[in-house]
This record gives sequence, C-alpha cells and structure tokens, in this order.
Amino acid sequence: MSPNPVTFVLFEVAGTTYAVNSADVQHIDMLEQVTLVPNANPAVDGVVFSRGQVIPALNLRSRFGFPRTQPTIRTRIIFVKVQNRVVGLVVDSAREFRNMSKDTMRAIEETLTGVNGNYLKAAATVGDRLVLLLDLDKVLNLEAIEPQALELPHTQALPPLAAQPKSDQISPLYAHAKIT
Amino acid sequence: MSSIVLPELQRELLDDFYAECEEHLRHIRDALISLEHSIGKAQADSKVIEELFRNFHSFKGISAIVGLSPAEELAHATEEFLRDLTQGKVSISAKGLDLLMAATQKLEQIVSAFRAQQPLPAHDALLRQIAGICEKKVIAQAAPVSSSVDAGHNIKIDEARSRGLLVWQCTFVPTKELDERGVNVTSVRAHLGKAGEILSAVPRVFGEGKIAFDFLVAMRETPADIMTWESDGVRVHLMDQDQAPLKTAGPGTKRMEGAEDNSPFIAPSHVVRVDLNRLDDLMRITGELVIQRSRFEDQISQSARRSVSMDVRTLQEVNLALGRSVKELREAIMRVRLVSVAEIFARMPFVVRDLARESSKKARIELKGQQTELDKYLIERLKDPLLHLVRNAFSHGIETAEERIAVGKPSEATILLSASARGDSVIIQVRDDGRGIDRNEVLKRAVSLGMQIPQTLDEAGLLRILCSPGFSTRDSADRASGRGVGMAVVNDTVRELGGSISLETENGRSTQFTLRLPLTLAIAETFIVSAAGQLCAIPQNFVTEVLQVTEEQIKIINQVEVVPYRSGVLPIIRLSSFFHLPGTARPRMTLLVLRSERGSSGLMVEQVHGQREVVVRAIRDPLVQVPGIVGATELGDGRPVLILDGAVLTSGPVRPHSTGELEQQLIRSAAHN
Repeated sequence: MSPNPVTFVLFEVAGTTYAVNSADVQHIDMLEQVTLVPNANPAVDGVVFSRGQVIPALNLRSRFGFPRTQPTIRTRIIFVKVQNRVVGLVVDSAREFRNMSKDTMRAIEETLTGVNGNYLKAAATVGDRLVLLLDLDKVLNLEAIEPQALELPHTQALPPLAAQPKSDQISPLYAHAKIT
Repeated sequence: MSSIVLPELQRELLDDFYAECEEHLRHIRDALISLEHSIGKAQADSKVIEELFRNFHSFKGISAIVGLSPAEELAHATEEFLRDLTQGKVSISAKGLDLLMAATQKLEQIVSAFRAQQPLPAHDALLRQIAGICEKKVIAQAAPVSSSVDAGHNIKIDEARSRGLLVWQCTFVPTKELDERGVNVTSVRAHLGKAGEILSAVPRVFGEGKIAFDFLVAMRETPADIMTWESDGVRVHLMDQDQAPLKTAGPGTKRMEGAEDNSPFIAPSHVVRVDLNRLDDLMRITGELVIQRSRFEDQISQSARRSVSMDVRTLQEVNLALGRSVKELREAIMRVRLVSVAEIFARMPFVVRDLARESSKKARIELKGQQTELDKYLIERLKDPLLHLVRNAFSHGIETAEERIAVGKPSEATILLSASARGDSVIIQVRDDGRGIDRNEVLKRAVSLGMQIPQTLDEAGLLRILCSPGFSTRDSADRASGRGVGMAVVNDTVRELGGSISLETENGRSTQFTLRLPLTLAIAETFIVSAAGQLCAIPQNFVTEVLQVTEEQIKIINQVEVVPYRSGVLPIIRLSSFFHLPGTARPRMTLLVLRSERGSSGLMVEQVHGQREVVVRAIRDPLVQVPGIVGATELGDGRPVLILDGAVLTSGPVRPHSTGELEQQLIRSAAHN
C-alpha cells in the first residue's frame, strides 16, 4: 500500500472523532441561522446559503442516531462536495487537519456497522484516539435507511412523507392541517 | 484552410457558425412542416420554397466559410432541387419531402459531429438521391468542366493567387467502377487536400441524375502526377488569370433569380447574438441590485421610525424611482432572454415522422402556441423532457392503425403539443388520443417492482409511480422511449426548474401531461409572510386576494378546515401547520387566496410583511426537495427564505377527487352547518 499521507479534516460528533478527506471539503463555517424545511428528511436541519447556492444542512448527530443538542459556539458546518452535490454537515466541532497515511487505517469490524446504514469506510488510530473515516456517499444516501431508524426531528412532526403512503388520499400538506 | 485565422477568432467564428446553423435549421424545419400540406400539388407554395431556398443557400454559404464541405455540398444539392421546384419543373412529392427532411437531419448531424470533432456522417448516398429526383436535364453525359464558380469563390481565388498559388479546377465524377477501387469523393478530397488547399467543393448535377464534384484547389506547383489523375475520374483544368468563370455559366448551372449574390452577408440585421453566460451575469447583477435596494428600503423605513433628522421623504422618493428603474432593467433583461418554444416544438414533427416510419403506427403531430416565449435557459433544459414525453406518447400512448380502426378511431393518431402563457407561468401540454394509461397495468408492474402503492390510485398517484426511478411498463427498453429513467428525469428537471407536472388520462381515449413552468427563473414578485416565526415568500401570481379572517369563521368539514368564501367555501392551509409548528393564536389572521389551474385554497398566515421582488435560487439537493417549496431566496441578511409553491398548495384538498365533486360536497356540508 502506498504510504503517501492524505490530509483529513477531523471533527467530533457525540464524543466520537470522525474524518473526511480534505479534498471533499469545500469550506467550514460557523453555524449561523438555518432555515427549517418542512417535510424534509428528519436528519436535515434545514437549508443555508453557501456561495449563492441553497445547501441542505445535514445534522450528523441525527444522522448517526444521537439526540440533537443546541448549537454552541463550537458547532460547525462542513461543506462537502460529493459528485456535484454540495451538502453541509452539522457537527459538534471541527478543529483539526491531519495527515494520515493509508497504512494506519484498518477495516471496520462488522459489528460496528449496520445501525444507520454502513457509512464508515475505515478506522484509524491517531495518537491514542480512534478516528472513524466516513464514506460520504453512504452518509448522504438517506433513502437507504429505514425510516424507523431515524430519530424524529426536534419538533413534534409527523414521520417523513415517504413513510406515509396513506397521505395520498389527501395532500400531505393537508394531512397535517387536519390533525392540528 | 482557415489556418490564417487566429485561433480565438476562429473559435468565435465557429460559435457564430453553430448559432447560425441552428437558426437556419429551425427556419428550414418550420418551412418543411408547412410544405407537408403541399404534397402532390402541381406548384408548391412558392413562398415556403423560397424560404427554404434562402436558408439552404445561406447554410451553404456559412458552411463554405468554415470549410465544412459535406454540409456545403448537401446544402447545395438541396438548393438545386428547390430551384427546380420554384420553377415549377417538379412538384413536391412525399419522396421529395422525405429527402428534404433527411437532408435537414443530415445537415444537423454533420454540424454536430463537426462541433464534437467526431468523424462526419456519410452523405454521398443522400446527395445521389437528391440529385436523382432533380429535373432530368438533357445534357452531355460526360461532365463538362463546369464553370459554376461564383463570387464567393472568386474572392478566394484572388486571395490564393495573391499568395502566389496556382488555382486548378478539378472535376470528379464518381462511378461504380471507381467506387469499387476505393476512389470516391472522400478519397479524392483527401488526395486534393494533400496536393494543395481546397478552396471550394461543390456538387453539381448533370444528365440523368448523375453528379459531379467541382473542386477548386490552390497549389504551389503543378503536381508531377497530375496527368494520371484523370484515370481516377478527376479532370483538371488550370484556371488562368484572365478567365472570368462566373460569367460563363454553363448548362445545368442555372441560378435562381436574385440568388446570384453569394455574399455571406444575407441581409442587414439588427440582431445581436449574445452568449447566454453574459446574460446570466447581467441577470445575477440585477438580482444583487434588487437585494441591495430592498436593504436600502428597510434602512429608510427604520430611520423613519426612529425619526432620525433627515429628509426621509426625499430618500423614499429616490428609493421608489430606483425601484422602478431596477424593475425595468430586470424586465428588459428578461425579455432579451426569452425565446419562443418553437425552438423545441419544430423538432418534434421530425421525431414523430421518424418513429412512425419504423413502426406500424400512424401519427401526426399538431403544434399550438409555438410563439409562446420562455427563458432560454428553461428552453435548453426542457428539450430532453419534451422529447421524452413526445416519444412516450408515440410508443406507449397511441395504438397501431389496426387497433385504432377496430375501436372506431381514425387510423392516424394525433399528438398535440401546445404551449400557452398564463401570467408569469407557461403551460406546456403533450396530449395524445391513444389508449390512455392502464392503471391495472401500471399497478401490476409497480407491485412486481416492489414499489409502494398508494391506496387510491388517482392521477397524481399514477404520475408518482410513473415518475419513480426505474419504472417502465415495457419489459425491454425500446428505442423510442428509452430506458425507464425517462419519466423520473422529466419530473426531476421540471421540478428543478421550479415547475410542476400533472397527468390526466382517460382510458381508451387520451393521455395528457401538463407542465407548468415559470416564465423566467431568476426573479419573482412575492408576498413575504410569516407564521410561527418562519418567514416565507409566496409568488404573487398565485395570490388572487388577501382577506382577514377570525378563528370563529373557520369550520371543519370532512376533517378539512374551510372558511366561507364567495358563494362556497375555501379549504385553508395554515402556514404554521405546514411547518409542523404550533401557531400563535391571534384574533385576526390573514388569508391569502391562492389560485392555480389545479384549484384554489387559502393560505393562513400570521403576518404579511409586504411585497418583495426576490431572487429565486433553485433547491437542487434531493435532501431538501420537498413538495410545496420551489426554491429559496434571501432578503439581504444572508439567511435563506423559502419560496412556497402555489401550484402544490392549491392542489391539496381539491385534487384527489375529480374536481367539483369534493367542492360540491364541501358546499353541501357548509349548507348543513
């Protein structure tokens, strides 16, 4: 295996350190106001503007099955570009760039995966810390997860539309109007 | 041959060339469609033929300029045929029309291959066919060395001579024997191209549909083997200095009156061709101007509230004037960007003809509202979706001629493609009078694919299934309608453009897809509203009225909240419920009455913050593409504000049942309450 080091962006979500290839990262921002998007996937906080584009803000706590927390001064949004698609990942903090060579990485054991989709690529040890390498394609592929595995959003919203075929009888919008 | 031109200039020239080609092809297509009605008549409509002639002639001219000889040759041959038509020597037959259409398509293929720098498609066979139906001219069998050199070529000849080159005229007559030896126009061209610089290449018809190619070749010196060329069917002739070949027009080279001038400048024109990117820039800058002006306005009203000692009124006047100018500016730019849907529509008759030729189905296409205009960007993006819908109509919608006759329909099916403007929207419909969509068939297929089935399969539900990725009712993909990704792509594109799509189908009778698109993408007039702390914009063109209502006025009928409206009731949607947020109770709420072709509804909001022109940003990511939202904008603080989709908001309670039925029900229950 080539020992060429690759630069990674390291960040924390619910006490665990994750990494993405820095080549996939466009930029990292403080998390300012996010606009709520009704009926979007529950793991989506909403949309933000980045360079004139409307970008979804995907909450990684929610995506990985942890409860959401209030944003703090350390909360960051990492804009990643995957196959012409730009998505903002909301993380607890992001402070490090680090070179890691491929031989410090190892495959993930089966037991670690399969909770909310197999979105981990590899694990690496940096000093005494375990760093989990994300497979961005799979992180962003929300269709692949069972709706039940998703945590409900912070409001008492109904399940996502996709999981509610019955709403066909009346429009989804209306279905909610009826209940309130 | 254009090696003397600087590369940048050449690129620009080529861009112009492609644009011009497209324009000519479009005119040609239009004319061909109207020519279709002249089939069999002794004298075809002379205006249409002249229009065709002019366009093929110009096409020939511009192809020669960029050195695209196959296109030049083909356009020339077509021109010859058209000349015979204008002189009434031949009447337009179905075959003639087919050939003209084939030539048009071939020209398009040649140009696009040239553009993509791919090998050009062969055109010799088509050339011969066109030559074959031209007037049977009684002249010598041996191709005389023609003098059909015209003014444009004279300039080239002079230019070549000024560089000290000798200009030879080489005439090549293809024969079967030569072809078997591998000598054809392409090989001759290659050979001549090696010997010198080909100034022009013109095919010419003589005798019983025979064809000769006249090349003008500029050479530095006489090739040693020039005398052996004759055995390869190439006759050579040195053009000498004093010869004025233009004046000695020979047989078979009659020129149409008024067409002698082969100048590349066709007619004085006030049209400027602009790169779309430059218009995009202008639009973006204007968008920023709109936002800045909004901020300016906010600032003024804040100052006014704080009664800062300044002449607020003067500022407000300046602001208003500025607002008007900005609005005019953006409308002017928008108009520049508008092009007619004919750009797409005119292609469709060819598509249908092609499909019909390869199948046992008969169909004609009817075009309506071709002059309807739409933003250029939208037109470009709509090309493939519309092509797909038309192909679908042909391959899935309509029946074979026998099937149609058996059920008492005319054997020829009609596909209607229509466009119309409605306020700030454009409606495009593709309708066929075929068998309609078989719900059971669709259901069966959906089940076999393991898809989720809605409980009631109304047309919206049906459309949703059809638009699912991977759904196709054909077991194997056929050429006509593709690979099962079609409708999904159509749906995605339309949505991305801020439009919507709906379906109406009647078993055994018809299928109709309706696309509703914004006239332009960039800027919309909206009402800024809020509820439960969420700020949203709703496009003004959906809002017909703004009312004040109290909670007491709201009734619940069939689990639907309604308010009395005019002589009936209006179903309402609370903006707060749309966001799944608890609303704030207020004594009076504001109701925006929304109307689209799908129906009406009332959008209940807590506050209306005023009217705003907003810059629309599309929402492209599937994670946040949700029904009811067409895009987002910002009001100057960098925070996205969602733009609501009036079409979806109005389709709620009315849509699922056949219109009227539910409304009737609602009105009846209202009467009871």
